[in-house]
Amino acid sequence: MGIFDIFLLEAVINGLLLGGVLALLSLGLNLVFGVIDVVWICYAELIMLGMYGMYFLYTVYHAPIVVAGAVCIVCVGILGLALHALVIAPLLGAAPINQLLATGGVLFFLQSAATVLFGIEFKNLGLRLPVLKVAGMFVSYSRLLAFGAALIAMVLVYLLLTRTYTGAAIRAIAQDRQIMPLMGVDTRRIYLITSGLGGALAGLAACLLVLQYDVHPFVGLTFGPITFLICVLGSLGNFGGGFVAAFVFAEIISVGGLYLDLEWGYVFAFAFFIVMMFVRPEGLMARRS
Amino acid sequence: MFRNGPLRVACGLIALAVVLGLVLASDAPAQGKKLKIGVVYDYTGPLAGGGSELHALGAKIMIDYFIKKGGVEGYQIEAVYADAQSKPDVAINEAVRLIEQEKVDMLLGFYSSAQCVPAAARVEQLKKFMWITTCISSAVLENRHLKYVFRTQPSGKQFGLMSTDFLAQNAKSKLGREPKDLRVAIIHEDGAYGVDVSRGNEEGAKKAGFNIVLKEGYSATAPDLSALVTKLKRGRPDVIFHTGYNPDITLFLRQAREQGLRFSALIGHGAGYGVYDKLKESLGRDVNYFFNVDPISIWLANEKSLRPPLPAMIKMVGEEYEKARPGTQVRSAHVGMSASNTYVFMTEVLPRAIKKHGGVDAEALRKAALEVDLPEGGTMLGFGVKFEGESGAMAGQNDRAFPVILQYIDDKPYLVWPKSQQQREPVLPLPGTSPYAAQ
Repeated sequence: MGIFDIFLLEAVINGLLLGGVLALLSLGLNLVFGVIDVVWICYAELIMLGMYGMYFLYTVYHAPIVVAGAVCIVCVGILGLALHALVIAPLLGAAPINQLLATGGVLFFLQSAATVLFGIEFKNLGLRLPVLKVAGMFVSYSRLLAFGAALIAMVLVYLLLTRTYTGAAIRAIAQDRQIMPLMGVDTRRIYLITSGLGGALAGLAACLLVLQYDVHPFVGLTFGPITFLICVLGSLGNFGGGFVAAFVFAEIISVGGLYLDLEWGYVFAFAFFIVMMFVRPEGLMARRS
Repeated sequence: MFRNGPLRVACGLIALAVVLGLVLASDAPAQGKKLKIGVVYDYTGPLAGGGSELHALGAKIMIDYFIKKGGVEGYQIEAVYADAQSKPDVAINEAVRLIEQEKVDMLLGFYSSAQCVPAAARVEQLKKFMWITTCISSAVLENRHLKYVFRTQPSGKQFGLMSTDFLAQNAKSKLGREPKDLRVAIIHEDGAYGVDVSRGNEEGAKKAGFNIVLKEGYSATAPDLSALVTKLKRGRPDVIFHTGYNPDITLFLRQAREQGLRFSALIGHGAGYGVYDKLKESLGRDVNYFFNVDPISIWLANEKSLRPPLPAMIKMVGEEYEKARPGTQVRSAHVGMSASNTYVFMTEVLPRAIKKHGGVDAEALRKAALEVDLPEGGTMLGFGVKFEGESGAMAGQNDRAFPVILQYIDDKPYLVWPKSQQQREPVLPLPGTSPYAAQ
């Protein structure tokens, strides 16, 4: 058994696919932070609600999976809007710690509400996607979907930000929150659009994650911390940075876990994060001032 | 006599007061005699759906049964339920809160070994009696010489040894190979439970002469196990020994299928593997022919070999289970396990403590527990009960407990090991219809 064998290649591909999942997770969180400057600690819980939405629409109400996915994206987008209108907007002028605590409170509220409403049992779509075999290697179809969706979502968000008036306004606000109202931009509207978009991206992540994971009220704990780390590693608010960080993190986990104990993969990934916080505290892709 | 109206009224009131006084006086000791039990399981968090809530249900069915019966030996039963939230720190805090604030006489329950290990030490420190219905890690009791902690369940190491013994005995006849030619992998969640079972697996595998190609732990909350699957593919094990909770089991099996992992048999060890309905919901027919090591499901026990009152109790637990979870396809062994273990306490320990040792304090309960001597067939789980004394390395462990091996075949669990209790021959290796089949 050599060091470079087909299993290494498989681990690299698995890392890429895991990176796609993590990139998808970080996209919405980065967008919201980049524009509104508020970290949605409860972001993974929005995904959890989206996963439940998929479960009920597809399994209980037998909606076609594409329709269920579309409804889910719209609904979680509306949840994002509601989160901003009800929790974030009243605290926009407050100290960052208050905003953080408020979204942290929403996290516990959503976890508890899901426990009461949906129970503690694990639920899943019961959908087993086909297995792809390419050049003697097996590739996870659901992960390939997530990877593709992450790429497409990234491109669409990029096009939205660079090719539309609303996108230009979003970028302008991200650059200077104080001056834009003076230039006649309705910041309240832009914040709402951004929150809705952030929520919709959480909904998209939910649609794809529910193909791979069981849903339960605490599923957010599996993704929440790692998503936040990736956003910080890539430079909080920087989509490109988050995207790159997701793949770097995933490759360390996957390839590190192949040659050492699986847990060492995570140890290396977190050690890399800590080192980078010393070397580049502003994040991998931050522009140096 | 009593022509005078006011005098009649006064005499009537006096008589009433005397009667009431007598009634109250006779009731006073009964009201004062009460056993307050603190029940700790995970009702929320990932472990709840992973099996803890079913154990909680089993214990509650049995506690409610004795409450309805009016208590035990003149003592009323009161239960205070606490949620450990799938977190060890919360489990300890809740145990202490129940003891110090709720003033419970004893604690019962505990699903996760990661909670059991520290909680047992804390409860011992507080000199309270702890009756473990579920967690199996040897680390809870091994070399700790605890005085007040008792467990009727078999230990995790016994689980691990049972599965390797089963494989060693069937290697030649079913797989056509000598044990030394069998490649096995041991994978487990990295908590106290998984580590202990894997220790048993490793010891048994070495004893049998298996070739261990991989032994590895992972976090039960890991978002990805694909690297583990890739390593297993590289190691090409014939048989995988797996110990996990949920949802890590379903994540592993899903990724194993997607990545094309093949093997001849998979032997799970309790927890997530004990909740067949959930496995089936997640993985469909892919779980067909998987093995599970657990104490026997009380609904599979041979009723003829059990003590006379037990079959009726098993029936009662089953009916209450159906009421609480209508539509259950395969009754989970979890419910029966905690119900049986709670029943042993209520019928063997508690009456003895009250009658022979004068009450329900920790010392009386401890002495009573040490005197329990049930032969095989003495519990709904088929095994007997005799606790190791405090000088033993596994003080508080039921020496007569043993797990069995079940195989899920076409939505039914069959007891396939030990041979003496076998309901049918195990299907080994995995038939070609399984997506994991090595053939």
